[in-house]
Amino acid sequence: MTPSRPDLDVIIRMVPKGARVLDLGCGDGTLLAELVEKQGVQGRGVEVDEANVRACVSRGLSVRHGNIEEGLADFPDGMFDVVILSQTVAYLNRPLGVLEEMARVGRSAIISFENAGYWRARWRAVRGRGGGSTLASGLPRIRSITLPQFQETLQQLGLRTEESILLNGSGQVRRWPTIRARAAVYRVARFPSAPPV
Amino acid sequence: MIVHTQQITCEQALRLQSGARLAPVTLAYETYGTLNAERSNAILICHALSGDAHVAGRHTTQDRKPGWWDEAVGPGKAFDTDRYFLICSNVIGGCSGSTGPSSINPETGRPYGLSFPVVTVADMVEAQRWLIDALGIPALLSVTGGSMGGMQAIQWPVSYPDRVHSAIVLASTARTSAQTIALNEVPRQAIYADPNWNQGDYYGKEPPNAGLAVARMIGHITYLSETSMREKFGRRLQERERYGYDFATEFEVESYLKYHGNRFTARFDANSFLYITKAIDYFDLSLGHRELAEAFAAVRAKFLVLSYSSDWLYPPEQSEELVRALLRNGIDASYVEIKSDYGHDSFLLEVDRLGELTRDFLAGLEREIARPAGAPGNPSASPGEMVEKGTPLAAWAAKARGGLRKVAVPRQETA
Repeated sequence: MTPSRPDLDVIIRMVPKGARVLDLGCGDGTLLAELVEKQGVQGRGVEVDEANVRACVSRGLSVRHGNIEEGLADFPDGMFDVVILSQTVAYLNRPLGVLEEMARVGRSAIISFENAGYWRARWRAVRGRGGGSTLASGLPRIRSITLPQFQETLQQLGLRTEESILLNGSGQVRRWPTIRARAAVYRVARFPSAPPV
Repeated sequence: MIVHTQQITCEQALRLQSGARLAPVTLAYETYGTLNAERSNAILICHALSGDAHVAGRHTTQDRKPGWWDEAVGPGKAFDTDRYFLICSNVIGGCSGSTGPSSINPETGRPYGLSFPVVTVADMVEAQRWLIDALGIPALLSVTGGSMGGMQAIQWPVSYPDRVHSAIVLASTARTSAQTIALNEVPRQAIYADPNWNQGDYYGKEPPNAGLAVARMIGHITYLSETSMREKFGRRLQERERYGYDFATEFEVESYLKYHGNRFTARFDANSFLYITKAIDYFDLSLGHRELAEAFAAVRAKFLVLSYSSDWLYPPEQSEELVRALLRNGIDASYVEIKSDYGHDSFLLEVDRLGELTRDFLAGLEREIARPAGAPGNPSASPGEMVEKGTPLAAWAAKARGGLRKVAVPRQETA
C-alpha cells in the first residue's frame, strides 16, 4: 500500500468481514485484493482503464471493464453490503448520480476524497496556484470538495453519515477537521425513513 | 507440433433442440497436451463458423499452415499445452469430419443434403458433452471460444452447470442480433442463387462454389474493420499502375476477397455453411425467459468475457449485455474490452493480451478448486459441491430473484 493513501487502511477497517463489496474505480485492484485477503469479502469491481482491468483479472479479481457512471446499472438494488468509491468522486462528471446509484446497489457506501478545505490547499489557492490540479499536471478535471460541502450533499441525497474518519498525514484529526484534515473517509447509508430508490 | 484428427462415433441418437433425432453421430476431434491423473486440466476449445477440430500444430511436416488458432494454443501460449489438456471437436452440421449435411444418411445411403436436421448451438454442445463423457472427463476446467465458439462457451455452463468450472468467451453474444442474422442471410442467398446448389442436392456433381465464394467474401468483410481495411489495402491497385476503366479485379481489397472466397470452396461445404449460420441465427439464451439473466440462474462457473473495440459483428455492447446478465446472478464474471483495430478477427490475432489474462485466470481457478471450501477469501465451493453451494453473492441473487417463472420454450422452426 502506498504511504500517500492512508485512506485505504481506514476503508479496510470499515468493511465487515465476509461482506459483499463493490469497489468503483478499483484501479489495479490493490484495495479489493487486500479486502479479499484480510476481510474475506466477496469482491466485485468496476474500472475504466483496460490495463488496470487486466491487472485485476490477473490478481484473480472479478472486475467489469466500464465507466462507473454507466456500469452500475448492471447491479440489482441492494446487492452489496458495501460500495466503495475511493479517491474517485472528485473526478466524476455526474457525482450525484453515482452517489445515488451507490445507495441503490449497496446497503452502505464508503467514500473517500481529498479535502479541498485543507489548510495547505487553501494556502496554495491563496498563493495563486488555484484549487484543483494545475494545467501542467496532466491530471483530469477535478472537483474541489470541502467537508461542509460534502455533508450538505449527503443531506440532499437523503444519506446519513454512519462514520467519518478525517485524516492528515500522521493520523486522525479531531479538532478543526474542516481545515486540518487532508483526506476524509465517510461511511454513509440511506436514512431509514427515505423512500427506497 | 504434429497432431492427428481422430474420430469417434456414437450410435445412440442425439435428441436435438428441434425435437428431431440424429444417429449415428460422428465427431472429429483433436487433443493437445496430457490429461492429468485427476482429470482436472481439460479445456474445451470451440471453433467458429468456418473452423474445424484442427486448432494448432500441423498434420504433417509439409503442411503450409498450422491450425486456425496456433497463435494461442501450444507450449507456453495463451492455452498452454504443457499445463492443460486441450480438446477441440468439429461441430455437428460441419464438414470437417463430424456428421453434417454432406454425411451419408443411413436410411437412404445417400448424403443428407437438406434432409439433415437443423442443429442449434445447444445441440453442438450436447454432442461435445457426449465426447467429454467418452474421454472420461468429469468436469472441464474451462470452455473457450470466439464468435460462434463463444456462443458454445456460454451455452456449456447453462446446459451443464456441474460439468464446467469456467467459460472464457471472446467476441460473442448471448443472443444473435438482427444485424448478424442479416449478415448470415445474405451469404445464404448467394448460395441459394447458385444454380449448382440445386436445393442442396449437389453431392457427386458440380458444387455451388460461386455462391459459396460470395458467401465467404461477405464473411471476410464482417471480420475486418474500416480501419484495418484502410491499413491493409487502402485504395492500392493489384498488379497495375492505373485504372483500367473495366471490370477486372483492380483493387487489392477485391483481389483479397476473391482469393479467400475461392480458397474457401476447396475446404468447405455450402450446405454446412447454411446449417451453421442457421444455428448462429437461432442462438438466443433469453428464449423462454422473461429476461436474459434468468437463463444463467443455475450457472456456477466463473466467466471471463472479452470484447474488441473495433468488432462491429459482435460489438462490445453485446458482451456487456451478457456480463450484465451474469453479474445480476452474482456470478463471478470479469469483462475486458480489448482495444484493437482488427475488427472481429481481433479474437484470433490479439493473443498477447489474451495470454496474459488466460494464464492468470486459469492458474487462479486451479488454486480455487484445489483450496478447501470455506477458506478465507475463497468464495467458491469445492468442485464436488459446485451445484449445491453457490457463492454468497449468487445465493443473494437467487433469493432476491424470488420464485423463478419458466415460460414454455417454443419449438424452433426448421429451415
